[in-house]
Amino acid sequence: MLPVEIIFLIDLLASFSVYLIISLSLNLEFGYTGVPNFGKVLAVAGGAFVVGSIPGRLLFNLMQINGNLDFITHNALIVAQITNNLKTNIPLSLSIFILSIIIAAIVGAILGFIASYPAIRLREDYLGITLLAMGEVLRVIGNNYPPLIGGSLGVQVPDPFAWIGGDLRFAITTLSMLFIAILIFIYVEFLIRSPLGRTLRAVRDNEIAASALGKHIPMIRMKVLMVGSALGAIGGALYAFYTSAVIAGTYNRVDWTFWPWTMVLLGGAANNIGVALGTLIFVGARKLIIFYKGFFAPYLPFDVVWLDMLLLGIVLILVLMFKPEGIIPEKPTYTIKVNHIKKIIENRKKV
Amino acid sequence: MIDIILRDAITFANLLTLLSIGLSLTYMTTKIPNFAHGSFATLGIYIALTITELWKLNIYTSLLIAPFFGGLAALSLYKFILKPLMNKGASLVSLMIATLAFDLVLLSFLNIYADYLTKTFKIKSRVFNLRGYDLKIGEYSAIFPISLILSISLIIILHLLLTKTKFGISMRATIENPSLASVMGINTDLVYSTSWFIAGSLAGIAGCLLPIRFIGNPDTGTTMIASIFAASIVGGLLNIYGAILGGYLIGLTEVLGTNYLAMWFGSWIIPYRPIIPLIAMVITLLLAPKGLSSINWYKIIKKFGSEK
Repeated sequence: MLPVEIIFLIDLLASFSVYLIISLSLNLEFGYTGVPNFGKVLAVAGGAFVVGSIPGRLLFNLMQINGNLDFITHNALIVAQITNNLKTNIPLSLSIFILSIIIAAIVGAILGFIASYPAIRLREDYLGITLLAMGEVLRVIGNNYPPLIGGSLGVQVPDPFAWIGGDLRFAITTLSMLFIAILIFIYVEFLIRSPLGRTLRAVRDNEIAASALGKHIPMIRMKVLMVGSALGAIGGALYAFYTSAVIAGTYNRVDWTFWPWTMVLLGGAANNIGVALGTLIFVGARKLIIFYKGFFAPYLPFDVVWLDMLLLGIVLILVLMFKPEGIIPEKPTYTIKVNHIKKIIENRKKV
Repeated sequence: MIDIILRDAITFANLLTLLSIGLSLTYMTTKIPNFAHGSFATLGIYIALTITELWKLNIYTSLLIAPFFGGLAALSLYKFILKPLMNKGASLVSLMIATLAFDLVLLSFLNIYADYLTKTFKIKSRVFNLRGYDLKIGEYSAIFPISLILSISLIIILHLLLTKTKFGISMRATIENPSLASVMGINTDLVYSTSWFIAGSLAGIAGCLLPIRFIGNPDTGTTMIASIFAASIVGGLLNIYGAILGGYLIGLTEVLGTNYLAMWFGSWIIPYRPIIPLIAMVITLLLAPKGLSSINWYKIIKKFGSEK
């Protein structure tokens, strides 16, 4: 068994990776494009539900485990068997992991499209209201429609990292999640430095000017929401693999919409490094609260969870009032260096 | 059987209308969609619980306190958070997040209070209803006539306030054109504060009647917020009379629709109730984004009349 501190650190790193992906996607939507996505939970839940329903069923049919069993009612038994079989089959484990993440991203993009379609042409407050309302739908369906992810009881997820075994399994899973999070970080950084990134900022800063220059605002917003939701779904899928279970009730508005919002605003909207810092601070604070929960609990006449939520609300308000630009504010857009421009002009003169 | 469902539907519609009027009122004056509106109602729910279970008073006495607390919560959101932010020139999105954050603060306090009630006084403070405390008129419970009379009279009072009093006229002037109104000597800040207070009070009233017929929980308000917004959006968000229409329409369809669908398709459909207001909202946004009040009914009737 690993010491408690190491487990705490690994757990922190895993949560950090998941939340980093989600906050980065929110930063792309809100920070760079100005779309108020109050329904981030929809994409995250979408990704997690894909992992809960697809890889298990796929492997169940592929491995031809006792066909008389029902995937949902005998879920724990079937998934245990699948995980046991996966231990000896490394290529299948990895391919099912990657395939699930790809499907999750596609489903996320579709959800982003559906959720934003009714209000994409309207003002941002209507869009925000619609996205917030849409965010609840998937959880309601997941909770009440057992064939999807086992209703309110949830389902187990086959473990694609079972072949590592022992203490190392946790660490390797976390590291691969962190690796994916870093890849997404690099992707978002490249995206916002491209001409598209400048278009997004133009849409955010002055819609009228951007549309006067021929940019189709609703289309840009919709594309960004689809990309953002796809990334959010990857975050949800990774979380589902990490906890190796999907329960619809855990995908609520507070955990998966408001936490990422606070991280983005605290760290600094439209600054990915700031967002990463905000995510680290918040995930750390929350893990510490949970870690020392047993220490506080006897002195409080209520559940510590609410202290957690109170902290979130108060920090959000304080950040908005006193530091709306966040810890690391947005940097001015990169332009071509003066010397480089001089060189171009000199070259022109020579010709 | 159907009678009871219809009564429930009308009771729910009355309360939802009170909530959607408040939401539209604050949206009209300050142009901020208030996501914390549902939790003002939850405040009313817990005031009703305290009054009945803790102080053993009649549940309808909470109607005297709840509007005050609801109004105070709304006023403090406006005065201490939204107004300073607006003065700093915060964007609409940050104002929306501020209302969401305030909602979280209220929600956690309500949860803490619920835990406190359970641990200290052994009162059931989650998923409760106060049906037993309702008065009886004959053999029927009193909530149906009381909620109906109360909401209709509040609507009439609000209508008279907006059209017949000097303050109401200055309020409408502020809604039309805030800068011109302030040039004419209208205290726009007072108008805004009053509209927030009225909205919060209406939500408080709706909240303290809600647990008599329906289930109360700390998150009742936050789950109802989608219905409230749907009602206001169906009505057009910028029109109080539209909010009344939207409130009754959404309230009735939500309860009646769920019950009739359950009769036809089976009871599995009941948990999907939150999807009904969402569908209504999506249809409205796609067909008439400015709501029912923006549709030129006269023109449509004329068109269909001439075809005949």
